[in-house]
Amino acid sequence: MSHDQATTSPRRSATYHDLPAVKQPVWTWEVPVYFYVGGAAGAAATIGAVLQVLDGDDSERLVQRCRNIAAAGTLVGSGLLISDLGRPERFLNMLRVFKPSSPLNMGSWILVTASGLSAGAALLSRSRGVFRRLGSLAGLGAGAIGLPLSGYTAVLLAGTAVPVWKESRRSMPLLFVASATGAACSLLEMGDFDERELKAVRRLGTVAQLSELALAQAVEKESARVPGVGRPYEEGISGTLWRTSTGLTVGSLVVDTVTGKSRPGRVGAALLGTLGSIALRFSLWLAGRASARDPHATFDSQRMADD
Amino acid sequence: MATGFFTDTTVCIGCKACEVACKQWNQLPDDGFSFTGTSYDNTGDLGASTWRHVAFIERPVPLTGQTTGLGDLSWLMMSDVCKHCVKAGCLEACPTGSIIRTEFDSVFVQPDICNGCGYCVSACPFGVIDRRPDDGRAWKCTLCYDRQREGMTPACAQACPTESIMFGELEDLKQRARSRVEELHDRGMGEAYLYGADASEQPGTQGLNAFFLLVDEPEVYNLPPAPSAPVNHISESWRSLALGAIALLAATAASVLSSKGGR
Ligand code: SF4
Repeated sequence: MSHDQATTSPRRSATYHDLPAVKQPVWTWEVPVYFYVGGAAGAAATIGAVLQVLDGDDSERLVQRCRNIAAAGTLVGSGLLISDLGRPERFLNMLRVFKPSSPLNMGSWILVTASGLSAGAALLSRSRGVFRRLGSLAGLGAGAIGLPLSGYTAVLLAGTAVPVWKESRRSMPLLFVASATGAACSLLEMGDFDERELKAVRRLGTVAQLSELALAQAVEKESARVPGVGRPYEEGISGTLWRTSTGLTVGSLVVDTVTGKSRPGRVGAALLGTLGSIALRFSLWLAGRASARDPHATFDSQRMADD
Repeated sequence: MATGFFTDTTVCIGCKACEVACKQWNQLPDDGFSFTGTSYDNTGDLGASTWRHVAFIERPVPLTGQTTGLGDLSWLMMSDVCKHCVKAGCLEACPTGSIIRTEFDSVFVQPDICNGCGYCVSACPFGVIDRRPDDGRAWKCTLCYDRQREGMTPACAQACPTESIMFGELEDLKQRARSRVEELHDRGMGEAYLYGADASEQPGTQGLNAFFLLVDEPEVYNLPPAPSAPVNHISESWRSLALGAIALLAATAASVLSSKGGR
C-alpha cells in the first residue's frame, strides 16, 4: 500500500500505514516548565558564585538574590519532576544507582546536589561567623553544580530515539545553557540593585540572549542535515512557539537597550526574556512529540545520518 | 544461557494466536476494541499492554513463489516483539536500575523498582516499551521470564501454530535462521534476509536477541533501518554541555569584571 507508492515528495521512504515508528514522549507540561526553572536556577547559582569570588562583599545583595533564585528553582523543579512520575512515591529510586549511561540518573544527582547546596547557601547567607563561611562554601559548590544543571536537560533530550532531538544533539546543550543564563539574568533584572551590579547583570543577559538567538539558528541548521527532520521547528504549534520565542527574545533585547536604564523598562525587558525562554522549552518539547509521530523523520535520520 | 526468539515472517499466517497467548499468560488489559482500517491489523503497534503485535502489509508487489488471483499483490505478516537488544536503549537510559539483563540475557523491567519516569519510552529505538496510564509504570515483553525460570517455552512461541515464532538457545536459533535463509534463496526467494541476527550488521544495538527473517525493507514492517541505542551518541552532547559551561563561566566573569572597570 504505502510501499512503492508514487508521491510528490522525493523524500518518502516506505512506512507501515504511516504509523509512528517510535513512541511519543510521555512527559507532560511539568517537564518543559522544569527545563526552564531548573536551567535558570543552575545559571543563577553559577552567577552567584562568580560574583562571590570576584566581588566579595561588594555585591552582597545580588549574591543573596542569586542564591534565593537557585534555591527556589531547584525546589520547585524537583517538585515538578516528581509530579511527572508515573509513581511519584518512588522518586527516591532515582538515587538507588549511579549510572553515567543515563542522563536522567545523572540529572537526578545533579539536581539533588544543587538543591541541597543552594538551599544551604540561601539560608546561611544572613548568618555570621562559621555559618556564614559554610554558606559561602555551599554557594561555591552550588555554583559548580549549577554549570551542568543549566543545560543537562538538553543532553536528556538528545539521549533519546526522537529524531529531531537526536539530530540537534550537538547544538542543543549550548542553546540550553545560553537560554538558562538569559532566563536567570531576566529574573535578576527584576530586582532593585545598585548601578554597577545591574550593569554586570544586563551585560551578561545581553550576551546570553544574543547567543540564544544564534544558537537557535544553529539547532535548526543541525537538525536540517537530514531533510525533513527539522520540520517541527517550522510547522505546527511547536513551530509557532519557536518563532514566538525568537520574537520575545528580540523584543527583550530591544526594550532593554532602549529603556533598560529605567526600572519599568528593565522589568518589561525581563518579562519578555522570561516568556521567550519558557516558549523555547515548550517548543522543543512539542517538537519532540511531533517528530516521534513522523515515521519518515525516524527512518530518514537513520538512513541519511552522516555518522 | 542466552535465549531468544527467531521470528520467521515467511511462515506467519496472521492468526494472532501469539497476541492472545501473550495477553492471557501475562494477564494484560485490552487496549480498546477499535477498528483501524489498516488491513487486518486492529492492534496497530506494540505498547504497555501489547507485547506481541502482528503486522499486516498489503503490497502492490508480487512475492516470489506465490500466486494470487489478484495480480501484483502480496501480503506480508510479521509478529513483532521487544527485540531484547544486546545493547538496549531502554536499559541504558533507565535511571533507577529497574531495567536489568536477566540470566537468560533478556531485558526485564522490574515492576517493584520502576517509578514511571518514562525515559525508556523515548530511548527505545523500536518504539516498543510504553508507560501504562492507569498503572504509571513502564511495561514490555519479559521474554516470559517467569515461564523460562520454570523451564517452559514463552507463551507466544508455544501458541504459534506454524513455528513462525521459534524460541531457543541463541546460537542454535541463529544457525537455524541462517540455514532457513539459504533454503529460501535456493528456492528463488533471493529477497529473504535476517534482521538483527548479526551484531556487525546492526552495530547500534550490537544485535538483537529477538531477530527476524524478512523479505522486504525493514521500514515496510515498521522496523527502523539502522537502529541505535541513544546512549551511543550521548557523549557528543555532554561535550557540548561542557563547552557551554566554560562559556557561561567566562561570560559571567567578563561581565562582572568589565562592569567594575567601567564604573
Ligand atoms: S527493543 Fe526497545 S524495549 Fe526492547 S530491549 Fe530494545 S530498547 Fe529495550
